[in-house]
Amino acid sequence: MRATIQEKDKKKIPLLPYLLILPTMIFVALFTAWPTVLSIYQSFFLQRMNIAKFREPTFVGFQNYIDLFADPSFHQTLVNTLIYVLGTVPLSMLLGFTFALLVNRKIRGVGMARLAFFHPMVLPMVSAATIWLFFFTPNYGLFNSALRLFGYSGPQNWAGNPSMALLAVMIVAIWKNSGFYMIFYLAGMQNLPSEVYEAAALDGASSWQALWAITIPLLRRTTVFVTTIAFIDAFRTVDHIFVITQGGPSGASTVLLYKLWQVRFEYQNVGAAAAITVMFVALLLVFTVSNFIFSERKEA
Amino acid sequence: MKRNTLFLITISLLILAIFAIGCTTPTPEPTQVPPEAEPTEAAPAEPTEAPMEPVTIQVYYPVAVDAPIAEILNGYIAEFEKENPDITVEPVFSGGYRDVQTTIQTTIDGGGTPPALAVMLATSLYDEINADNIVPLDDYIVSMEDGEAYLNDFLPAFMANSSYDGKIWSIPFQRSAVVLYYNADMFKEAGLEPPTSWQSWAEAAQALTVTEGDTTKWGLHFSSDWPYWLFQPLAIGGGHNIFDDDCTVTFDDPAVIDAVQFYVDLSEKYNAMPPGVQASWPSDPPDLASGATAMIVHSSGSLTGILDQADFELGVMPYPGKEEGTYASVPGGGNFYIFKGAPKEQQDAAWKFIEFVTQPELVADFSINTGYIGTRASAYETDAMKEYISQVPQAKDTMEALQYAGAELSTQNLGEVRNILHNYLQKAFNGEMSAADAMAAAQEEATTALEPFCK
Repeated sequence: MRATIQEKDKKKIPLLPYLLILPTMIFVALFTAWPTVLSIYQSFFLQRMNIAKFREPTFVGFQNYIDLFADPSFHQTLVNTLIYVLGTVPLSMLLGFTFALLVNRKIRGVGMARLAFFHPMVLPMVSAATIWLFFFTPNYGLFNSALRLFGYSGPQNWAGNPSMALLAVMIVAIWKNSGFYMIFYLAGMQNLPSEVYEAAALDGASSWQALWAITIPLLRRTTVFVTTIAFIDAFRTVDHIFVITQGGPSGASTVLLYKLWQVRFEYQNVGAAAAITVMFVALLLVFTVSNFIFSERKEA
Repeated sequence: MKRNTLFLITISLLILAIFAIGCTTPTPEPTQVPPEAEPTEAAPAEPTEAPMEPVTIQVYYPVAVDAPIAEILNGYIAEFEKENPDITVEPVFSGGYRDVQTTIQTTIDGGGTPPALAVMLATSLYDEINADNIVPLDDYIVSMEDGEAYLNDFLPAFMANSSYDGKIWSIPFQRSAVVLYYNADMFKEAGLEPPTSWQSWAEAAQALTVTEGDTTKWGLHFSSDWPYWLFQPLAIGGGHNIFDDDCTVTFDDPAVIDAVQFYVDLSEKYNAMPPGVQASWPSDPPDLASGATAMIVHSSGSLTGILDQADFELGVMPYPGKEEGTYASVPGGGNFYIFKGAPKEQQDAAWKFIEFVTQPELVADFSINTGYIGTRASAYETDAMKEYISQVPQAKDTMEALQYAGAELSTQNLGEVRNILHNYLQKAFNGEMSAADAMAAAQEEATTALEPFCK
């Protein structure tokens, strides 16, 4: 019976798989592919919704891109974005991995620990950020109170200081995401075959060696996946910036997506916003594709 | 075999169902709107007095203060619908001010029909006019029994951002002002009088700054995370507002530079305020209420919240000005706008709703329940308001601060101009640039940003 079905399926065009991905395809085409194409198109036009004479788009070639790259505040935004991504992704992944190691054992209260690590993910970012704003408060904020225990004195102004504002929003992002990545690592660890560990133990491997020789290599696929979503997360999480620093002071914590929002909805500059979108998508593509290529090559 | 076919059928049905859901929900909206829109546009001569077809309008509104706005608004809508059974009003809560504007702009850009009515910042005027989103309200006002008196009854400071090109484009609704709140008990204990000039203000703040161990209790908190609004009364008190008209900013005026320098001096010279940019908008009212500081500058909208928590006598006043005996403030908050893209009969219904909600009794009620300032002089003549002011005299102080108010920053290309100002104000506050250099740079950049709009 089973064999006949398989033979028949081979001869026919397999309709079922296409049917199954059809809804997804439609959504991807409608909400991802089409807007991307539209943005590329719009980025070559001058269109500003709040100037009557520029409301109708006029073709300007690469002018939007040229203007953006001539703007020092856009340079600052790119640098901020790079620092933000490179600062938050590795650290929150490392923390996620460490948390997973900590809670991947059968001890009393481990459920509570998992919940504690995971709960930041469940909180809405805006309400969480509002609470963090109070943590960063100069005088009685949690951060400065904690620092005072280590002998630091004086009010450190986290959200208002140009050299600390970006760090402040990065801390919140790391806190928010680590627990999420922990879940993936935890799931990965629980699927690892226990025989390998038993064999290693028989060979006299320390738990440190087992971690380096077994756990980390076997979790490589999980790492690739987590790296990808972590990069994407880092680029698109800006809710807390609206609450904590509003991109300030003087643009010190403005990242690409925040800038995009500002240009599109505050400056009403459709062309420039489309150009930023194109660069945004391109950056994400470079990151994710190179991530995949890099990890696949390792396997070969 | 059979099981396989069954599976296929189930899946196909599921997909079909998803599509059915996906397709049916959007369709009613487009079909609902055009038939209504076209006939009325074709026959605009039809008098609005004629018996109206039942009409439904949406009101987009933000919640920007700590008050049950939604509940209050629903109450007014219920009363309004009782008086106007042929009109249904759907309130749509849409986040903060910026979200309301973004949502509506996105709807219009996407070819959709905007709501008939929305509450947006009074300062959004030029952006909305340039985008051709809104309609002037003069015809409605003229058709009122006494439109002139209606307009003149609004506090002049609140009408400052409503007119352009000789027309009225918005009606004040939830309006506030920047005020100085102070802990009158602390002032009394220290033997201080409420400040009457920059000098006495700074000295009072200095006298009320107390350092105990590692922590300093500052005499004054002055939030600068979204700085232009709270900063404006400093400039006005210094002698010149930060702009002259929709195409002219005056960031590098000596009076404005003076005001920036005064802000810096408050921490550098007088050591009476935390140094640098203070990202403290949300924490300032609770700090004042709990006694963690003696003075804050904030929106009059925070009055109710502070009064609820404070166990001391709260003083409310405009900012003292640079010269002895001068004061300054600036209005803020949201106005009603009617949208061009909505069908005519919805616009008419929206105006009826505006008229209803801005009658003195409701203006008074709204002010009492939210802490916003009553927008009309006659609201302060109502019994309810008189009664309220006898209990909460500070409510009158916020209104009276308005007589010293200059216009809130509202220019062409407002988002970009405001952002330029923010960047350089914060650079000056953080000591990255001198007040004069920062304001000169801001002036230059803002002038460039205004050029394509004003040539």
